[in-house]
Amino acid sequence: MSHSHELVIKSSMSRPPPPPPPPPPTTNKDQQRQNPSLQEINIKLIQSGEKERLKELLRERLLECGWIDEMKALCRAFTRKKGRNNVTVDDLVHVISPKGRASIPDSVKAELLQRIRAFLASTAD
Amino acid sequence: MSSKINGHVSPQPCPHLLVFRSRNGPKPFRALKDCIRVKPPGGRAAIRREPTEVARCGTCEESSRSRLYACVACAAVFCHAPLLHSHASDHSLSIPGHEIAVDVDRAELFCCACGDQVYDRDFDAAVVLAQTVNATATTSTSGSTAMQCSVAGSQPENLRKRRRVDYRPWEPDSGEHISRGNQSIPLLDAANASLVSSTQQPWGLRGLNNLGNTCFMNSILQALLHTPPLRNYFLGDRHNRYYCQQKNGAINGTKNSRLCLACDMDALFSAVFSGDRTPYSPAKFLYSWWQHAANLASYEQQDAHEFFISMLEGIHEKVEKDKRKSQSPAGSGDCCIAHRVFSGILRSDVMCMVCGFTSTTYDPCVDISLDLEPNQGGSGKSSSAKSLNSFNVEADCMRPNQNCGISTLKGCLERFTRAEKLGSDQKLFCQKCQVRQESLKQMSIRKLPLVSCFHVKRFEHSSIRKMSRKVDRYLQFPFSLDMAPYLSSSILRSRFGNRIFPFDGDEQDASNDLSTEFELFAVVTHSGRLDAGHYVTYLRLSNQWYKCDDAWITQVNESIVRAAQGYMMFYVQKVLYYKESENQGTS
Repeated sequence: MSHSHELVIKSSMSRPPPPPPPPPPTTNKDQQRQNPSLQEINIKLIQSGEKERLKELLRERLLECGWIDEMKALCRAFTRKKGRNNVTVDDLVHVISPKGRASIPDSVKAELLQRIRAFLASTAD
Repeated sequence: MSSKINGHVSPQPCPHLLVFRSRNGPKPFRALKDCIRVKPPGGRAAIRREPTEVARCGTCEESSRSRLYACVACAAVFCHAPLLHSHASDHSLSIPGHEIAVDVDRAELFCCACGDQVYDRDFDAAVVLAQTVNATATTSTSGSTAMQCSVAGSQPENLRKRRRVDYRPWEPDSGEHISRGNQSIPLLDAANASLVSSTQQPWGLRGLNNLGNTCFMNSILQALLHTPPLRNYFLGDRHNRYYCQQKNGAINGTKNSRLCLACDMDALFSAVFSGDRTPYSPAKFLYSWWQHAANLASYEQQDAHEFFISMLEGIHEKVEKDKRKSQSPAGSGDCCIAHRVFSGILRSDVMCMVCGFTSTTYDPCVDISLDLEPNQGGSGKSSSAKSLNSFNVEADCMRPNQNCGISTLKGCLERFTRAEKLGSDQKLFCQKCQVRQESLKQMSIRKLPLVSCFHVKRFEHSSIRKMSRKVDRYLQFPFSLDMAPYLSSSILRSRFGNRIFPFDGDEQDASNDLSTEFELFAVVTHSGRLDAGHYVTYLRLSNQWYKCDDAWITQVNESIVRAAQGYMMFYVQKVLYYKESENQGTS
């Protein structure tokens, strides 16, 4: 169903499926063992389109629980204090990131973790 | 940095953007337009050279960074995390003219030198167009060829799933029709529309039957039923008694598991706001509360304030068990709705009168209990004062700022936050002197709750003289109250004068974010003697006052309320207090 798989199938319709490609070369040889690295998981998520779906789910959850409104309020308060013309995107990211990370509800974290695990299990080679 | 054109703020370009434009013509981002990819789930625009490209930092090879930027000049992609490392900034510094980049996941222009977003009218218009075209792609048969945009990673089926549905007003399906008929009461009854007049009572007004000296409970319940954030919580189904009971049953494994007070509150809200005007008997609630506060379970008259505290504890206890939230800081209100609404933080400063060392403590509180009579410097000696004694009135006048004759709520708050010299029999340990010294104590409010409950200490219990007494003195209370003078920040300023000094990190947030203005919405009054008295609650709804005397609810003039003997006053933050129009029940 994902885009990259479609390309693979199209090019090999009349031939037996090719062997799986060798894992991409990495500097750390340990990463080639059973547990996929963060990089590999990330790429899998992106290529299958799952990452985008997860991001949308996360956006929805954070909106529901008021987290986004809280972050907006923090940004507004900071901007009011500093003055509108003295604030940059980097400033805002710097200011709200710690609070933002700390205030994500556990239920949201759990749900996303569950989804990622389920995805990895379903696509395990 | 920004200018206004026709009322719209138009951000001025930064110097780097200006230079970039001067080198690449007036529309330097036209090449980027081909790389706009709109992703189906949300219709968000991203920048990718190829539809299936996985963006990766050219320096560190990481694709999992949260901010990746593509240099508009050379199309190289870099990560940007100013705190850790920014390969985007490195790149912009190494090659002049390469400061402008685009966020690959958000399609927003960025200046790596300024660390801030920049704007280009044409580019933004192109992004908007790409997103609009994508949203209507399935409904238009002739695709837009004027704009080149590809949809990354999508199949036609995906688009159809996300297609917008035409708006249709809600109609109940067959199942909903049945349940509607069985249990609901029409909100706007056409038959009764002609009866609607200015005497129509607002929603949620329903008398509570006295079940045997239970006016102490009824009065508090009436106040809680109309506490805006609490009302919104329960009417908004935030604690669903059916779901919660199932949970309790599942945990205990028994069918008759102990109900939770919050569930009973939920049932009470449903009953009182149902539209039924016949008086309601909160028997189930009383029974549940008896189970919670076994020591108070009797048909004797109880103290309404004690009931209030006990109720909040009951809601907190049960909810906390469900969620197992034991690590939320005290006073933050994260633990349960009761604390979310009523919990504030008091600050207590104790200063050693010998060396000046001040120790500060913070304590959460759900209400503020105020002394009615002026403090005469010793707790055991003050009970002899009679309210009409002229001697004491003179003593009152000798204190500065004291309003002679009439006690006011503001006066009580001023007294509450005044620096008090603790008696010589109450010396506190000074950390600096390492001995007990005479101390100066001052209270102030560090964090205001959503709803401030003020409890007037009218009932004096003296264990020494083995008697209890009621203080009938009249207390004047305002309908609008500004709590600013009683905040820690104000108290500290008045203590130290006009100078710069550091606050705790959050203190400014506490006073800036929330307003300090409050509106009165409920007054619980007590009339009669200590052992034979009666509680009545006055509620302020739609800017009218209603007297709730057990089962009887009547509209009263505000002068009646002003003259009443206030025992507990409930104020809500002004921003949460809705001044509804008078004709609330009409269409």
